Amino acid sequence: MKKYLQIFKISFAQEFAYKVNFIMWRVRNVVQILLAYFLWSAVFEDPQITIFGYDQSKILTYIFAVILIRSLVFSARSVDVPQEISEGSFSNYLIRPVEYFRYWFTRDLSSKALNFAFSLLEFAILVIIFKPPLFFQENLLFLTLFLLTILIANYLIFVIRFIVTSITFWVAELGWGGQFLIMVIITEFLSGSIFPLDIFPELWQKVFYLTPFPYLLFFPLQIYLGKIPLNLAMNGILISLFWCLTLSFVLKNVWQKGLKIYEAVGR
Amino acid sequence: MDRAIIVDRLVKNFEVIQKEPGITGAIKSLFSTKKKIIHALRSISFTVQPGELVGFIGPNGAGKTTTLKTLSSLLFPTSGFVSVLDWDPWDRNPEFLKQIALVMGQKNQLWWDLPAIETFELNKAIYEIPTRQYEESLKELVDLLDLGKLLATPVRKLSLGQRMRMELTVALLHRPKVLFLDEPTIGLDLIAQQKIRDFIYEYNKKYGATILLTSHNMNDLTNLARRVIVIDEGLILFDGALEELTEKFAKEKIINVTLANEDGIKKIGEIGKVKKLAFPQVTLSVPRAATAVAAAELLQNFPVSDLTIEEVPIEDIIRKVFRGGLRKR
Repeated sequence: MKKYLQIFKISFAQEFAYKVNFIMWRVRNVVQILLAYFLWSAVFEDPQITIFGYDQSKILTYIFAVILIRSLVFSARSVDVPQEISEGSFSNYLIRPVEYFRYWFTRDLSSKALNFAFSLLEFAILVIIFKPPLFFQENLLFLTLFLLTILIANYLIFVIRFIVTSITFWVAELGWGGQFLIMVIITEFLSGSIFPLDIFPELWQKVFYLTPFPYLLFFPLQIYLGKIPLNLAMNGILISLFWCLTLSFVLKNVWQKGLKIYEAVGR
Repeated sequence: MDRAIIVDRLVKNFEVIQKEPGITGAIKSLFSTKKKIIHALRSISFTVQPGELVGFIGPNGAGKTTTLKTLSSLLFPTSGFVSVLDWDPWDRNPEFLKQIALVMGQKNQLWWDLPAIETFELNKAIYEIPTRQYEESLKELVDLLDLGKLLATPVRKLSLGQRMRMELTVALLHRPKVLFLDEPTIGLDLIAQQKIRDFIYEYNKKYGATILLTSHNMNDLTNLARRVIVIDEGLILFDGALEELTEKFAKEKIINVTLANEDGIKKIGEIGKVKKLAFPQVTLSVPRAATAVAAAELLQNFPVSDLTIEEVPIEDIIRKVFRGGLRKR
């Protein structure tokens, strides 16, 4: 345990080594949020309008909540792993008595902690400037379920990212491309971080809910907003747990196969 | 445990995808990939005793680094048996990993943007080194390698020599029983090289650590390794004491003659190959078997005032090894 605390600390220190880099990354996040904010406030100019079950207050809550949840779920350090595999510095941690996935999960946690702290700050500033109507969930049950789904989301995205990362063992030069295509485009789109998924036709939504992606962001947020009845919420949690198990199994096998053909290049 | 390392008929093949140069080559490779099998190791066997310091020599691409990577658990053998400290490296058992270290001269394991002390602290936690032992090791290594003032400097600002010493420190904090060193002196100046060599020697003596070392630096080998393994194209060509290398591979001996006068000096080339002629000194190289005859002829037919017979210098043999010249005998 002490091991991982130390990993957390050094990883945190590392994030600070390139301050400008980090600030630019946060700026990018804020700009993205602002874009969504202006788009949706234009759509909901009249506070009386309700589209797809959203009124102005709820959609703005959605946008603002995305800031916080994205920083909790989507920020990660393990995006560097494909590069480490293709250039060989991956070897460093293979020959040390440390569990590789726990090592990266810890580093991701430290990245999340830092990003979350900053996103809280940004959140506060943006709220003061734009004074969006906010929605506070007061039902303790929904809050607990929300926390649970956030934990599941963190686990799921970690496993998905490492399955995508495994491609690098076979096709070294595809590592980053795969990350970009799957993690950035598909995951962000289908998780609802660009727009709420319930603007899609019902059938599409049903299909989405069978994939692991909505459980990364959209589903937890819907629970927070109280838009999902309890029985459907439990249903969703079961599906996401099913994906946790299945994808863990897939990752374990793919990873073992990948290690066997790993060539420790350049070292 | 009477053997620290056992390698038996180890084979390692790599698949390499062939690509033609340029954009057309890149596009072609999308549709059809040509694969080539590289035989990095073609059945090598050797054992190493605890506390031995063994030097691996051979030209680039001979299979030295592949051997070290397989022994340190990075590569999965295509076939054959490998055991280090009675462990199968591939299992990556934490107890095994705590007893080994791999240092690569060309890559770093220190956190690039942070002072080296941060990586040391991390390794202390990862290897679960007790605080007292950590402090002892650190003090000892820092003193030996003269690093005191550099601990707080970010690694990216260290010179290559300083960084290499840091690399050794970080790899040795947990006092590994088996140490794999791949080109530890590459790119260093002579003084820095000597510092590293002295240190490796000390570490081997003091802790009885088993050390496997690859190097292109002849001084590393002649100063450090009592035993060398010559490897080329994935095969072991020689495994034994450094001195025996000469006997096995030098086809010739060297005769140094001092002449009293220049009479008949032009004919001296008939005795053997003249390597150097700077009157009154002549250096000849003659076939090993014909040494005695050649010496007798020299004494009989030339105004010899002094004559010595020597082995070919070990450096020449090693140089030949690196040129891959041993297989084409």
